[in-house]
Amino acid sequence: MANLGTFTILAAFVIASGAFAASIAGARRGQRSLIEGGIGLFHVVTALMLVASSMIVYAFVVGDYRIKYVQHYSDEAQPLFYKLTSYWGGLDGSIMFWVTLLAAFGSVAVYLNRERQRLLIPWVVAVIAVVEMFFLFLMVVHNNPFETFLTVTPTKGQGLNPLLQNYYMAIHPPMLYLGFVGMTIPYAFGMAALASGQLDDSWFRAVRGWTMMAWLFLTIGLTLGALWAYEELGWGGYWGWDPVENAGLLPWFTGTAFLHSVMVQERRGMLKVWNISLIIVTFFLTIFGTFMTRSGVVQSVHAFGEDRALAWMFTAFMVVTLTVSFGLVIYRLPLLRARNELDSWVSREASFLVNNWVLLFSAFFVLFVTMFPTLSEAIRGERLTVGAPFFNKWMAPVGLILLFLTGVGPLLAWRKSTLINLRQQFLWPGLAGLITGAAVVAFGIPLWAAGLCFALCAFVATTIIQEFVRGARVRSRATGIDLFTALVGLFARSRRRYGGYVIHLGIVLVFLGFAGAAFSRQEEVSLKPGQQVLLRPYTVRYDGLRVSDDGQKQMVTGYLDVTRDGKSLGGMYPARWFYRNHEQEPTTEVALRRGPADDLYLVLAQYDVSTQTAELKVIINPLVNWIWFGVSIMLIGTFIALLPERTFSFATSRVPAGAVTTSLLVLVLLSGGVAELRADHVTSAQTVVIPPKSPLEKDLQTAIICMCGTCGRKRVGECTCDTAVKMQTEIAKLVAAGKTRDEIIQQFIAEYGSQEVLSEPINTGFNRLAWLLPYGTGLAGVLMLGFVAVRWSRRSHVEPLSETPSVPANPALQDQLEDELKDLE
Amino acid sequence: MSKKAVRVLLSTFVIGGALTMLLYTTVSEGAQYYKHVDEVSSNPQAWYGKKLQLHGYVVDKSIKRRPDSLDYQFDIQNNGKVIKASYTGVVPDTFKDGSEVVLKGHLDASGFAVEPDGVLAKCPSKYVADKPGQASQPTQ
Repeated sequence: MANLGTFTILAAFVIASGAFAASIAGARRGQRSLIEGGIGLFHVVTALMLVASSMIVYAFVVGDYRIKYVQHYSDEAQPLFYKLTSYWGGLDGSIMFWVTLLAAFGSVAVYLNRERQRLLIPWVVAVIAVVEMFFLFLMVVHNNPFETFLTVTPTKGQGLNPLLQNYYMAIHPPMLYLGFVGMTIPYAFGMAALASGQLDDSWFRAVRGWTMMAWLFLTIGLTLGALWAYEELGWGGYWGWDPVENAGLLPWFTGTAFLHSVMVQERRGMLKVWNISLIIVTFFLTIFGTFMTRSGVVQSVHAFGEDRALAWMFTAFMVVTLTVSFGLVIYRLPLLRARNELDSWVSREASFLVNNWVLLFSAFFVLFVTMFPTLSEAIRGERLTVGAPFFNKWMAPVGLILLFLTGVGPLLAWRKSTLINLRQQFLWPGLAGLITGAAVVAFGIPLWAAGLCFALCAFVATTIIQEFVRGARVRSRATGIDLFTALVGLFARSRRRYGGYVIHLGIVLVFLGFAGAAFSRQEEVSLKPGQQVLLRPYTVRYDGLRVSDDGQKQMVTGYLDVTRDGKSLGGMYPARWFYRNHEQEPTTEVALRRGPADDLYLVLAQYDVSTQTAELKVIINPLVNWIWFGVSIMLIGTFIALLPERTFSFATSRVPAGAVTTSLLVLVLLSGGVAELRADHVTSAQTVVIPPKSPLEKDLQTAIICMCGTCGRKRVGECTCDTAVKMQTEIAKLVAAGKTRDEIIQQFIAEYGSQEVLSEPINTGFNRLAWLLPYGTGLAGVLMLGFVAVRWSRRSHVEPLSETPSVPANPALQDQLEDELKDLE
Repeated sequence: MSKKAVRVLLSTFVIGGALTMLLYTTVSEGAQYYKHVDEVSSNPQAWYGKKLQLHGYVVDKSIKRRPDSLDYQFDIQNNGKVIKASYTGVVPDTFKDGSEVVLKGHLDASGFAVEPDGVLAKCPSKYVADKPGQASQPTQ
């Protein structure tokens, strides 16, 4: 099967080259058949990559250890979940994952745009095919994931390191890849526009959604990485300016810049060269980031091997990409003339331009400093590195400028703001900022940089709220509806604009979280049982250690009791876990208590079981949860901005206006309510559990649930309370006595009075209905909704507005007309 | 050249120049030299007092911790050359005999003093393809 996998990759490479050739030939000759052929071959590549991916995943699941990649990252005992995620656990598989995602995205993009962007599509196919070919080439000649052992046939695997066996390993890399790979699509369309000469605005309108989506995934990926570092690694922080972290941040900066400056091109026909260059740079940075994290060219905590051959191949690809891309830009310069010029610096275009400069500066600064060791070694022979404090010192003022612009940008008018405009727009936000600043000084908070950050947060938040309030007020006055419905209508009419405002609100909260870092405190103490440490406002008392084992790992847990201002907050249990076969690499289990004001972060650094002493690290991180919360607000805003036309128009046209608002309010409240129902799971100390000694015991431990009442109906094998232990002992006794599964289950049912003690009702007779009922009603509900929706939308055929009579085209007049119409909004 | 182009170029140079100078001065304050143990041990006096990132492998059975404290003493080596290091604080999970580490701190006559949170042990899984016939253990 490994040979089949290798062949599939080889075939994909050859067919991608065919797609490339056919598309280019078809585009230049204008031959439909060639173009269609190219598209067809392109889709075949996608199919082949999906097949190859499923083959490697199958190899993981089945445990085909003849394949080196599988042997390296998996073993028998590894849980299925991590066998699957090992697909992207190493270099070779991650490259294949990249190509698969790119092919899938490419196929979708080409399919969706095949009619609307007829002239661009062949070039888009060609560009994506070339990028695919590069990565496939890497696999074919250098890093084949299907490579097998030649002389030995291992029957065991090395297994994924336990430090990597956590939930984040499963989700963080795919999200980042979706973001990175997603940026190739806008690049392809940009290049297609350059190559075909179709440089009107349609190219980026086609891919604005894609860029936003890629940006969304990049944001999620970066945040998950930060969360992973924070929760699992135990150093108390979430961002270390490590080269790998920076690699993901660079395209995020330029992507954000691009999303803003396209608005200027759309409104005023300016910045055309700038935008196309930005998308080229964004794509380049995704490749550069990949290069950096795989070639060993920079040193990082994420240990990379040095791979010279890989480094050279990437370098060649990057040089060719830059040359061809910017060569095309220079070639098409005459077609990229701006339609307008900058009228005034007190305008929205100007603020977007400054925003772009700041973001680009950030990107190049981070890039330069990250590559500094390599550069200094090349130039001076000495490898010089710069640490996180340096980054923070520079990025703090840059971030604050960006925050300030977030507030200023939306308030300035296009073309030029008058003094009256300025006073009207900036009065309240300015006041809010100044009052907050004064309050900050009064409370003794240092103005640099936390105090200034708070003042700016207030400023920007007020600008956003002001926009919503004013917009809703105007709408409600004009149409005579209430304010809330008007607000919904605002979103409906300009999803991108108001979704963008929501994203900005999220950014404000994220900066609030950043500002908290200035006030974090920590203590490292050595404690004996009964001793306590005070880190205001928390007092942490150390009660002792307990050693336990659950069959998979040994756990040393510290028992701590936390009080705040005299009130007991319960116990916290930081631990160190020693997995079987990996005893030399313990994992730190941080005890974390989250709150809106601060986080209490406890680490069991060292311990001595014989003397029961423990070395504890106690950290307080104020305001850090506003970062995660702010990011989720950003995600909501992005979803709103990405909504297609029809969502809101259907809702607002067929349903009475007021009902829309009410239903939305109800939905929002419900979603909040559902979140509350998931009660906070306080990590309980691991008591000694009874590990199952036979498959029957294991099966019964999952079939019967714990009846303690406080664990939320956990299976008896998973709950760690005393009732669970009692029930496990009983199961063990019954199994040892030779009872069958049914007998034991019947005994438990008799003991507890009903089938409540089972995790699922027995699948016979009347109970089958219980199984079917939820599915049945769900299906019926969906069918009903669909039926009603179709009926309603078909009811009255509204005649589409007849096309405005066409006037003989006079391009200059057309342009002026367009500009003035846009200015009216 | 048009007046506009002149203005753009001039302002770019001025701002660029100012930023470069700023960058240069701040970098030299914060920069640390990245060195391997054998590179430093050949001439230790030359490196006294300089901020270093020292890369090496922890010598087996050399990790000593003062009981009831977080004071550590250990040796790191590379290509046979050994340097003594001392550190107070939390060590990462992967810090053990034979780990590949990077220590941030400075060198003096009594050994290498590691700054707080200055022990960086490399991630246990190497993100690299296996070369045929080679074990995935670091060379000792």
